[in-house]
Amino acid sequence: MTATITAPARENAAGHAKPSKRRQGKKRSLPLTILLWLCALYFLLPLFWLFIASTKDNSDLFSTFGLWFGNRFSLWDNVVSVFTARDGLYLRWALNTVLYAGVSAIGASLVATMAGYAFAKYTFPGSRVLFSLTLGAIMIPLTALALPTYLLFNAASLTNTPWAMILPSLVSPFGVFLMRVYAADAVPDSMIEAARVDGAGEFRIFWQVSFRLLGPGVVTVFLFALVATWNNYFLPLIMLNTSSLYPLTVGLAQQQAASAAGGGAQALFSTVITGSLISVVPLIIAFLFLQRYWETGLATGGVKE
Amino acid sequence: MKKAPRTAMKLVGSAAVAALLLTGCSSSPGGTTAKETTSQDQIDKALTTPTKLTFWTWVPGIEKEVALFEKKYPAIDVTVENVGQGLPHYQKIRTALQSKDGAPDVVQMEYQYLPSFTVTNSLLDLSAYGAKGVAGDYVDWVWNQVSTDKGVWAYPQDVGPMGNLYRSDILTKAGVTSAPKTYEEYATAAKKVKDATGSTISNLATNDPAQVVGLLWQAGVKPFGYDGDKTVSINVNSPEAKKVLGYWQDLIQKDLVSTDADFNDQFYQGLAGGKYAGWLTAAWAPIFLQGTVADTAGKWTAAPMPQWDATKNVSGNWGGSADAVLSTTKNPIAAEELAKFINHDQESTTMLATQQSLFPAAKNVLGSPTFTDAKSDFFGGQTVNKLFADISNTVDKKFEWLPFTDYAYSQFNEIVGTSIGEKKDLSTALDTWQDVLVKYAKDQGFTVK
Repeated sequence: MTATITAPARENAAGHAKPSKRRQGKKRSLPLTILLWLCALYFLLPLFWLFIASTKDNSDLFSTFGLWFGNRFSLWDNVVSVFTARDGLYLRWALNTVLYAGVSAIGASLVATMAGYAFAKYTFPGSRVLFSLTLGAIMIPLTALALPTYLLFNAASLTNTPWAMILPSLVSPFGVFLMRVYAADAVPDSMIEAARVDGAGEFRIFWQVSFRLLGPGVVTVFLFALVATWNNYFLPLIMLNTSSLYPLTVGLAQQQAASAAGGGAQALFSTVITGSLISVVPLIIAFLFLQRYWETGLATGGVKE
Repeated sequence: MKKAPRTAMKLVGSAAVAALLLTGCSSSPGGTTAKETTSQDQIDKALTTPTKLTFWTWVPGIEKEVALFEKKYPAIDVTVENVGQGLPHYQKIRTALQSKDGAPDVVQMEYQYLPSFTVTNSLLDLSAYGAKGVAGDYVDWVWNQVSTDKGVWAYPQDVGPMGNLYRSDILTKAGVTSAPKTYEEYATAAKKVKDATGSTISNLATNDPAQVVGLLWQAGVKPFGYDGDKTVSINVNSPEAKKVLGYWQDLIQKDLVSTDADFNDQFYQGLAGGKYAGWLTAAWAPIFLQGTVADTAGKWTAAPMPQWDATKNVSGNWGGSADAVLSTTKNPIAAEELAKFINHDQESTTMLATQQSLFPAAKNVLGSPTFTDAKSDFFGGQTVNKLFADISNTVDKKFEWLPFTDYAYSQFNEIVGTSIGEKKDLSTALDTWQDVLVKYAKDQGFTVK
């Protein structure tokens, strides 16, 4: 959730900070530094709020200052209630999210890499038209496709199954575009030709030669797809009807709604907030670990050799 | 059971239109009616045959009451699902009904939405299963909410008769030592409270048609009507309705009543921080407040609503739900028995009131001393349940809804709600709302009376 914005922001900050360190001798731009600090603050503040809020109980939440600790420190109680509310359904939602996001991200990066590579390195009839279509598809938000997708899946009796989450998430037009641009530069034509001369088949060239060169790009697409599926709310909302199939987004929203249910209300605000905090932790970890791939992925291809 | 996010309203509005268009012309409204009443033998047989039922509800922890049912009838296996609350829930039901796949058997449904589903023939007429026999076990006005002369469409689960919850500490500070009996006194008290403490005496939400409709209900206004077939009546701009809204407009313009959207962060902070010295709200609110603003425990007092006519004692209703059976169910008898059991069996209704904190519609709880004599520390030891049980008996008995509540409510937010927030003329807003509703009803093929 917040991490999607925060993490790339940190990347940017880091990316800018490094050259300035190297250019230590040169004059630093003070306004730029301030601007970057402000940006960092802007992106980190919600995360900070989320952390502070998850240390409060319900009454502190509404009666104390939002950006500092309340009268009681109830982080632990909140964490316990996250995992015990409704018989620990949260854990189930977390596992669902990991499953949906993990499978979709792996699948999407694989499909996008293959497609992008094909667009970049092969000329075949209709390749331009197909690529234009892919480019056009980037412009259509997933939300707009949710209803038609629902009708299609309903016709195939696939709604209310994990497939309803995974299959639509496997398609990533932006990933294809990114991989085409990336593959065009990262895999030299001469290398492919050399491999052909050595007698390797096209598929083997892709797996054993090109795929390795494409690594950083693959990770980039993987992260994009991971975050997109992890944070997807609308698709599971319309596709799934069973609590035990929900991902974290829908589950937490449902818990949040229950807080304002009037009669029979369960005031689960602090539980929901703490649940949100826990739900972004894996994303932050994923970004930190894959950071170096991601950085090189964005940087290479920028300059032609 | 009352909230429905505003954003979803438009979507559902259009879904409802589609539903009306699709089914409105092909079948006669009024729900499925079985000609003969089911015999006890048939019921016994249905309840001993292994059956799977699905129950969509957003009541947290209602699994406990369902477990009681399953214990009594081991052959029936009930799956409880929460697919959303309020509008998203109805949206899912409509989607499931239209896709003819995955629709549940029993659904929770707020009273104001029942006609929106009987109009599309989506609810099972429970009178064929002996529902009329239990009519006397519920408060009169509540039974009127679930039944029409064409049939019985649901069993009442919980209700929200309206009362006045206020911070006695703040009111005392302003020299108001007892709850205002009339709206005139209420306005005077509002002035005193504002002058002495800066708090507003209540909040009139910009996004909550149900609250305003509840206030109209109390004043004896009949803004909506539906004959169960093709005729609706719409009177949201009647002189009586304008009188009620005019009263609030006056308070709003003098800054004596705040106009925040309810059930969001700002609203909770207002309750916790004493921005609002009180709240004209419903019977579900005492429990809600205890969960949300626990730190203010002991400072609250519950009282009946202020009255328009000092010689009378009347109230309206805000919220509450019933459990209905969808006409698509393959196991109508078992589904009907589930809906009935949960809301009729003494053990189940008591549990709904004590553990799920729903304010009961069933007399077997309302009349039980363990329920009414319970003292609430949050309200300084008041017997709040008793108070609201008495209020429930004063709710105006006949109040009808339109078969397109989604649309009426979303338009309320856009027209009247916005005017409340911007302190504009509410009389004009009611006129606009009226015009929009009449036009919509005609476009949908209804006769407007």
